[in-house]
Amino acid sequence: MGEGEGDTKTLSSYNTNHKMWERRELIWNLTVVDLKNRYQNTSLGFFWSLLSPLLLALVLYFIFRHIFGREENFAINLLVGIMAWRFFANGTSSALGAIVGKSGLVTRVYIPRQILVLSNTLTTLISSLLEFIVLLPIIFVLLGYLPVTVLLFPLVHIIFFFFVFGAGLLMSSLFVYFRDLNQIWQVVAQVLFFCSPIIYPLSIIPDSIMPYYRLNPVTQFIIMYHDVMVAGHLPSLFGIVLVIGFAIAAYLVGSFVFRKLQRRFAEEM
Amino acid sequence: MSAIIVDNISKKFRIPHEKKNTVFQNIVGLIKRQFSYEEFWALKDVSFEVRKGEAFGIIGRNGSGKSTLLKIMAKVLYPDSGSASLDGKVASFLQLGVGFQPELTARENVYIYSSILGVGRRQVDRLYDEIFDFAELRKFENMKLKNFSSGMNVRLAFATAIHAVPDTLLIDEVLAVGDVAFQKKCRDKMNEFKAEGKTIVFVSHALDTVKELCQRSMLLNEGRIVSMGDTEKVINDYWMMLKVK
Repeated sequence: MGEGEGDTKTLSSYNTNHKMWERRELIWNLTVVDLKNRYQNTSLGFFWSLLSPLLLALVLYFIFRHIFGREENFAINLLVGIMAWRFFANGTSSALGAIVGKSGLVTRVYIPRQILVLSNTLTTLISSLLEFIVLLPIIFVLLGYLPVTVLLFPLVHIIFFFFVFGAGLLMSSLFVYFRDLNQIWQVVAQVLFFCSPIIYPLSIIPDSIMPYYRLNPVTQFIIMYHDVMVAGHLPSLFGIVLVIGFAIAAYLVGSFVFRKLQRRFAEEM
Repeated sequence: MSAIIVDNISKKFRIPHEKKNTVFQNIVGLIKRQFSYEEFWALKDVSFEVRKGEAFGIIGRNGSGKSTLLKIMAKVLYPDSGSASLDGKVASFLQLGVGFQPELTARENVYIYSSILGVGRRQVDRLYDEIFDFAELRKFENMKLKNFSSGMNVRLAFATAIHAVPDTLLIDEVLAVGDVAFQKKCRDKMNEFKAEGKTIVFVSHALDTVKELCQRSMLLNEGRIVSMGDTEKVINDYWMMLKVK
């Protein structure tokens, strides 16, 4: 299906966004289908998927509580960090296959292909929101109260969403040409995981390497989640500018590379 | 007035001697300095116009570039040079039932497939009965698609696609679906479209259908136009070409 003005040139970014907005019904339909398939049409499906991060948090807590147990709110920070990390890890690794896994929609019909990545990332966003909703009462019980700054969570999550979406655009388009990218990404993601303050507190990082350590975008986001969901701090202005910058950069780079590479998608499938 | 203008389209495929589709193979290729690939022109300087309300046939042997041309017109492939411009809302039937979900019901799939084809929910609501009557699947609207026979599948897909109400249709060999009765229904629908002044581009090996549906046609061979004009004449040229070989 095409709009028929017949331009076979690369669409500009504005144009693409406009077309995607026109196809919002399709985006939503694909998201719902993805969700249904992911949870196998069972309402328990979601709770099964929740089991693994909670178990992971529990195990890590028992391992590290003697080392970091004196840290304030170590257990809750661990939980929040793992949930935020899951959005990034699941979002990128599932977006990676968004194009290759939907070859019919790439080679047999015309739709703006960014839609496939967007609906995929939206699916992960919805799962992640559900997970955070389950997390709220847990925080309340462990902390004894909910910080008011939790209200900022949607804002942080939306910024993180654009970061993940941008990364997804980049990786899904590269994956068409480099089919071992999923294995490479698993390794890179693991490095990022250990280079972010998830299973240990930020305070153990020596001052000398701190500036480099903070260059990891995931670190900045994790700090922000810890701030608003556990510590009850307002994020620093610098931090906010930084994460918005990361998100915009990821989105711009991702959609630029995607637009260049998508021209030959149908040939490479 | 031309509804479709295809201007000087060329399309080149690269066939690498060794397929490199991992980072590892690319690095090995860089070290060994193997970049060699063969170029293959699937289409070379193809130009034609189709008037509004006309049905235009494209015929040719396997590998002559018919489907590549249709895919470029459908914006699935990008040409290396030249351009194609198509009027109004375009529906391309390169394959039926793209994006069908076996785990969902026929009803849900009609809505999903329609949205892929660019038809909104409200419009499907309005056409819903018509679609299921055309597909003759009224009784099965709440059945999961995985329990459908392949014939039912294709009928549902065709009925949904045909109700997308486009101005221009690009059809690649998908009319041969269902039993004889259903095929007749499809042909009637095509003639109805023609009567309504819709533009149709039809790629097929079924020369009889091409003759019946299209006034004008084009014969492709190895990516070039060999003959274009009155369908009868083009089909004759096709037979001549096959005889010579």
